[in-house]
Parts: sequence; C-alpha cells; structure tokens
Amino acid sequence: MARYLARRLVTLVGIVIIISIGAFYLIHLLPGDPATVILGTGDSPQNRARLYAQLGLNRPVIEQYFVWIKNVLHGNLGTSFISQVPVWTTIRAALPIDLEMIVISQIISFAVAIPLAMSSAKRPDSWFDRFLGAFSFTMLSIPAFILVVVLVLVVAIKLAVPHTGVSSYVPLTQDWVTNLESMALPSLVLAIGSVTVYYRVLRSDLIATLQQEFITLARSKGISQRRILWRHALRPSSVALLGTAGVNIGGLLAGGFIVQYLLDIPGLGYTLVNSIGLSDYLVVQGIVLVVSVGVIVINFVFDFLITLVDPRIARE
Amino acid sequence: MSDETLLRVREVTTTFDTPQGRLTAVDGVSFDLAAHESLGVVGESGSGKTVLSRTIMGLQPRRGVSVTGSVLLNGTEVVGASEDAKRELWGRQVAMVFQDPMTSLNPVVKVGRQIDEVLRVRLGMGRPAARARAIELLEMVGIPAAATRYGAYPHSLSGGMRQRVVIAIALAGSPQLLLADEPTTGLDVTIQAQILNLLDEVQGRLGMSMILVTHDLGVVATRTSRLVVMYAGRVVETGTTRDVFARHRMPYTRALLESSPKVSNPSHTRLAVIPGRPPNLLELPPGCAFAPRCAYATDRCASERPVLEPADEPGHLFACFNPLPPRAGSPS
Repeated sequence: MARYLARRLVTLVGIVIIISIGAFYLIHLLPGDPATVILGTGDSPQNRARLYAQLGLNRPVIEQYFVWIKNVLHGNLGTSFISQVPVWTTIRAALPIDLEMIVISQIISFAVAIPLAMSSAKRPDSWFDRFLGAFSFTMLSIPAFILVVVLVLVVAIKLAVPHTGVSSYVPLTQDWVTNLESMALPSLVLAIGSVTVYYRVLRSDLIATLQQEFITLARSKGISQRRILWRHALRPSSVALLGTAGVNIGGLLAGGFIVQYLLDIPGLGYTLVNSIGLSDYLVVQGIVLVVSVGVIVINFVFDFLITLVDPRIARE
Repeated sequence: MSDETLLRVREVTTTFDTPQGRLTAVDGVSFDLAAHESLGVVGESGSGKTVLSRTIMGLQPRRGVSVTGSVLLNGTEVVGASEDAKRELWGRQVAMVFQDPMTSLNPVVKVGRQIDEVLRVRLGMGRPAARARAIELLEMVGIPAAATRYGAYPHSLSGGMRQRVVIAIALAGSPQLLLADEPTTGLDVTIQAQILNLLDEVQGRLGMSMILVTHDLGVVATRTSRLVVMYAGRVVETGTTRDVFARHRMPYTRALLESSPKVSNPSHTRLAVIPGRPPNLLELPPGCAFAPRCAYATDRCASERPVLEPADEPGHLFACFNPLPPRAGSPS
C-alpha cells in the first residue's frame, strides 16, 4: 500500500509542477506587457520599478519562473498592486470560508445520501426508489443560483431565520452562532448538489454488491439486514463513491463562487471573481495555484481513503 | 416423525417467475434426514439441487420465488417462515458451505472478522473471546498459522484456504445441519479431496447432519450414507448409497455413474456421456423428463409421469416405468 501511495504522490508532485508553470505563465498569456497586466489600474512609475525588482521582469522567462516559484515556496505570492495587500493574506482570509462550507456540506451530503441509497438499493424499483430517482434527477437539474434565490426567499425572508440571508459575513472564530446561521444556506445548496450525485453513484453500486454471493453468505449467518448493509455491502460499494466525492469536493473549492457571490460571502470564489473584475492578476494567479494544489491534495486524500476501504486496490 | 429425524422435507416445490414464464426448479421433493446422518444430493447442472439446498435453508432471494410444501427443521417450519424466524435458524441450526470461495467471502473484511461475526452477533461473545474462538476454528479447519491468518484479507489466501474459511464460518454457530453446495467445484482437483475429507471429518467430530450437493457421484460414494438422485427438479431415485450404486433401477442413475471417471478404468477408456441436454425447465414434457435422452424410453414414458415406487430394498425408491433389472445395475 505504501508503494502504491508513493507512486501516486510522485505523479501528483509532477502535476503540481505543471500547474505551477501554467499559473506562472497566466500573466504572460494575457495581452500586453506583463507589468501592465499586473499593475492594471495601479500603473505608476514607482509601482512599475518595484514590480520589475520583485519579479525580475527584465530577465529571461525561465529565470523569472524560478524566481517566482522560490518566492511561492516561501509563502510569498507577491503583493497586489491594487489593494496593496500581500496575496497570501487575502487568500488566507478567504480559504477557511470555503473549507467550512465544504466540510458542512459534505457532512450533510454523506449523512443523507448513504441512508437514502441503502433504502433504495434494498428494494430497487420500489415506489420509494423510483420517487427518489426522479426527485434526485430534478434536483440535479436545478442550477445553484435558482436554489439560492428560492432558499433565501423561503428561509431568510418568509421564515425570517436571522443571518441566513447573510448581510455581512462574520468569521467562525468571532461569533460561531451567527457564522453558522449565515453558512447554512450556501452549505445546503452545495450539499443538495452533492447528495444527488452521491446517492446515484452509491445506489447503483449497492445494488450490484447486494447481488454478490458474499452477501448471501452473510445472510446465511443470520445477521440483521441493517448489519448486512452497513457492514458487508457499504464498504465494497463505496470505491466509486469516494472517487466521485474526491472530484466533487475539488470542484467545490472556489466552485462555490456563484453561491458566495449571491450571498456576499467573501470566500475564495468570491475573491476570485472580484479580482478578475479588478484585473488584480496576482491575486488571480495565487488563487489558481492554491485551488489547483488543493484539488490535488483532496484527490490524494480520497485515493488514500479508497485503499483503506478496499485493500485490493493497493495491490501490485 | 421419529426423535432421530432432524430434517423432514415434504413435497417441496420451488418456482421462479422469469420473463419467459414460471419455472419449476424443484418439483415435489420429499425426504428425511436423521441426526448425524449425511445425505448426498446428486444430479446434473440444472437438476435443481442447488435450489433445493437453498430452499431447505429458506435462503432464496426475496422476490420472484415461491415455495410450497414443508421443510421441518428440528420442528421448525422453514417454508413460509418470516425473515426474522429464519434468521434465528441460520448459523445456529443450519449453515451452508457455498460453491465458490472466490465469491462467497467478503473481499474487504478480514477473514477472522467474518468468522467472529457469527460468534459475536449470534452467540453474543465478547470481542476477545470471539477472536480466540475464531482462531480455534481456523485451526480446526486446517489453516496453518491461524493467528496470523485471522487478520488476512480473502484475496491473500488460496482457493482451498478460502473454502476452509467458509467452512469455519459455517461451523462457528455449531449448527446441527450443514448444507454443502458443490463445495469443491471452484477448486483445483488436488484440493478437492482435502476439502471433502475435512467436511467428512468435522461432520463426524461435531455430530452434525450434512447434505452434500454435487454432480459428481465419486464425491458422495464414500462420504454419505444415503443418496437422492435428482433430474429436472424431481427425485428420480433414492436409497442407501450402497443400493444406489450397486442396485440402481433408474436408467438416469446408471448414466450418471457411467459418466463419472474411475481410476480402475484402463487407460484411454472413453468416458460415457449422457446424450442430449438437460431439459428446458420452462417446457417440460408431460411424461418422464428424462425420456427424450433415455435408451429404454417407451411411448408411455413420453405421456405419463412415473412416480417413486419402492424397490426390493427398504428405503430404496425409483421413478421409472422400464427400470433396469434388480441386481444387474452394477455399471459395466
């Protein structure tokens, strides 16, 4: 298993390097002189001189990359010439919001999807299964921005639950009650998207697993159906689920920007959209890099979880 | 029903609803099994022997199956019993050794855990006690380094070892009846005899009754005291193993015996085959199901179904209008 993971890790490091080159080159891809691109509206002779010193813009591109990557590895993603705030400071303020949204939404998703998938798989094609199948398909086809608007209308306005409409965001460490209230709707919207996918993936794998002979053997032991589902069927059925979850969660990192933007929650996605609007390309570059590495780390973690769930995967 | 009878099977019929229509896999089967007795159920593939063993256990899929008749196991009716009631029997009264150990063990659960699940859930043992007992069971079924193997996953064990684990699982609840459904079909020839000898040994040692289901008469010859020969879901001959081998009356039984290879045959002896194919259970002829393949068949065989009738020996029954002459049945 260690060898399998080590090999995965080597691949991932390679991917990170390629992504870093892409993120670095982003600035050079945009039309115009990189200095103009980076400085944007903050272009002035003083700023221009500082930028040239910081990025070594008069040196060859390859050398510039190594200067940049060395800074990145030291946690220095540059300082925005528009806000005059270090890029890493901006990201560090936004990232926990995304992580909190992801954690809450995924707890809800798994807690809902697993029992639902089991109930469906126990009796495939029962009315319950058919209803859920149709319902999940409907939910899957509703865009997130519609869900947000509807939920705000119902929960924040009609039911008047405080802070769920999020007028001003409060960090978790400052006031956790207010924070959780304002995180409820965006997390729920993300969870609804995840639940439908997880439910469908797990349901079909559970149905296939329940046909297996080892389930009949488990039944022949005289153990309860609940125990058969949780102890014998869930684990061998969850390889595809975990793979899907890894990809899905990676997508939620910064992918929740529609929800964040609609509700004014200053997460990574919100910051990214704002920075693009302000042509603050150093921040864009930083977020692209952090999100890419984040996606890769998440996928690696889920690969590892898969080897725990099914020890056969890590053989060879 | 005498005190000694552990299992009483009466007129058991199992039908499946298939898209092509209703299929009768087991058709009016009756027999008794005494405590400590071992019975062989033999027949070709599709003769209903596997379905019969699952019906006895009540282990059919939930839907599309209907069973009539009566299976009385230690005084408890299995046919029509609720899932809860059957769960009480499973593991403790009756256990099954499955056909293919490659698919019958959970691939993601350590083998030791699969054994001690019975001990913990059904016998209420604590974790340390269950672990110790599971290792004991692994030793009993002949697994070397049992304590280490306890933590192994099925994929790291050979087919023979896996089947030993399956047997250990079946023995964990000390059942009175062990159903072995083609327990050696998925194994190498060299391993088959070991597994059969193991089953034989534990059956004797633990005083269980055993039903050994197989297509190979060689398997049951020395290991069971009585035989039930099945064809197209029906019992066509039954009796003591000795009588069925030496004094069988049903031509199908002879055909089965002749198609089983024997070491005593001279080299290059061509193995006899049964001509034709097993019948389509959806379109059974009105008469004897074996008639189309039978050398002795007459017009009557095609139109009228023979019922079991007694032969000369006590307990020996056969269903045939043109039986082989008594005492002349020894295969050539």
